Parts: sequence; structure tokens; C-alpha cells
Amino acid sequence: MIATIRQMLRCHWSARRIQRYLDADPVARLAPAELRRLEEHLARCERCTAVVEEHRLLSRLLGGWTEFRAPDPRAVARLRATVDSLVADAL
Amino acid sequence: MQDSTDPQQHARAERFRRFVEPEIEVLLRVARTLTGSGVDAEDLVQETLIRAYRATDKFDGRHPRAWLLTILRNTNSNMHRRKRPDLVADWEVVGGHRPAFGARPPTPADDAALHAELDAGLRRAVDALDPRFRAVLLLVDVDQLSYADTAQALGIPVGTVMSRLHRARNRVRTALRVRPATRSDR
Ligand SMILES: [Zn+2]
Repeated sequence: MIATIRQMLRCHWSARRIQRYLDADPVARLAPAELRRLEEHLARCERCTAVVEEHRLLSRLLGGWTEFRAPDPRAVARLRATVDSLVADAL
Repeated sequence: MQDSTDPQQHARAERFRRFVEPEIEVLLRVARTLTGSGVDAEDLVQETLIRAYRATDKFDGRHPRAWLLTILRNTNSNMHRRKRPDLVADWEVVGGHRPAFGARPPTPADDAALHAELDAGLRRAVDALDPRFRAVLLLVDVDQLSYADTAQALGIPVGTVMSRLHRARNRVRTALRVRPATRSDR
């Protein structure tokens, strides 16, 4: 019983950090101690490992949209021309 | 404009070009996510560039992307008089005319079918999100902005970006998990 509760608390603790762990965004890095603790937990916990895998899949799928939503090169060219004309007006 | 050979004008123009040129594509991506339309996005970036040019002298040169995203956000709320700039009204779905994974790496037919099904489920799940959550998810996971740049683009604190992002992903992740009829059983 106590072991189960302890396990639940560890999973809860991990769940709150998994996305920061995967993103590794410069403003929200995990502290080294947190990182170690999380990786130790993931090595032992199938449930949390499955959550990590789901996040990776989601990230891959959304990453597929990146390319699809790439801006129209003609729009990019027109905006470059806008920059050129702003700069040219100044000179 | 006064003297056409003013070296200060020249330096300002070059600074502006250096800051802005590498960011045009990112600005277009973000503008599209904020406005929900490619045409509005281009208008918005155009106006952003003009305003940025006028503000070049006041910019310290440190984080051009964050600087530009702030101008973009303010320009967007002026242009559209949005009550809530962080609330993206409508999102152009990733395209009804979307080529079926043309751009994705080649996969065996079964994988492609599974991918297509997952992607359709993903679109439904993203569609079902609260627009504030959806905006953060699209900016970070599709437009590939950092947390800090997303905060600038939406005018919300980084902590809010994180909590919305994490909740949005958890919601979508859970929705994908219960997708109808897995392919493994045929
Ligand atoms: Zn766990």
C-alpha cells in the first residue's frame, strides 16, 4: 500500500517534468538533480516511459505540419522587397 | 528624410536589414498562426516591418526576434482591435487540400495509413482545443518558437505559455490514445 502510494507520487512528480525534460527550452531547463531523478524513474517506470513515447509521437506529428505550413516563397520575396525599399528610401 | 548621404541613416538602414532579414519567415509563420490566414499574415508582417523600421533607433539589438514579435503582436491588436491578443480566433486548419503526407518520409503502405489516421485524429484534437491553448501549441510545436518567443508573440508570461502548452499537449495526447479502431487488428 505504502509502496503504491510512493510509486504514484513519483509518477506524479515525473509527469510534471516530462515536457520540460523533452523540450529542454533554455528558460525552463530541469536542474541536474531533477534530471537525474527523472531519468532514474523513467528507467524503471513503464507507465511514464509510455507517456514520454506519446509525447515524442505527438511532437513528430506536429513537426510534420511545420513543413506543410511553410510560408509561401512568393510572400517571403515580397516582404524582402519591402525591406529593400524601406532601406533604399533611407539612403 | 533630410540628407541623403547621412551616415547615420545608412547605419540604421543596415542595422535594420541585419535584424529583420533572417526573421521574415518566422514572422510569417507566427502571423499566420495569429491571424489564421495567409493573406492577413502577409499584411500583418508588412505593417510590422514598417513599424520596426521606424523603431530601429530605439532597439538595443539584443534579441531581434523577440523585438519583432512584440511589434507584430501590437500591430496585430491595432489592426484587428482584438480584445484578447492571446486568443487566436480562427485557425485555418492545416489545409483541407493537404497532400496526403506528400512531404513526409517514405513509409510502407501500412505505416502511411496509420500515419494518415493519426494525423486526422490529431487535427480533430487540435480543433477541439480552447483557442488560447491551441495558439500556444501551434506556435511552439509547429512554428517551433521557444517558450520566451511564444510569450512575446502572445503577450503573456512564460509561465502561462508553459502551463497552456503542457495542458494542450496532454489533452491532444490523450485524445490520440483513444483513436477509433487501431490498425493492428486487421
Ligand atoms: Zn512513473
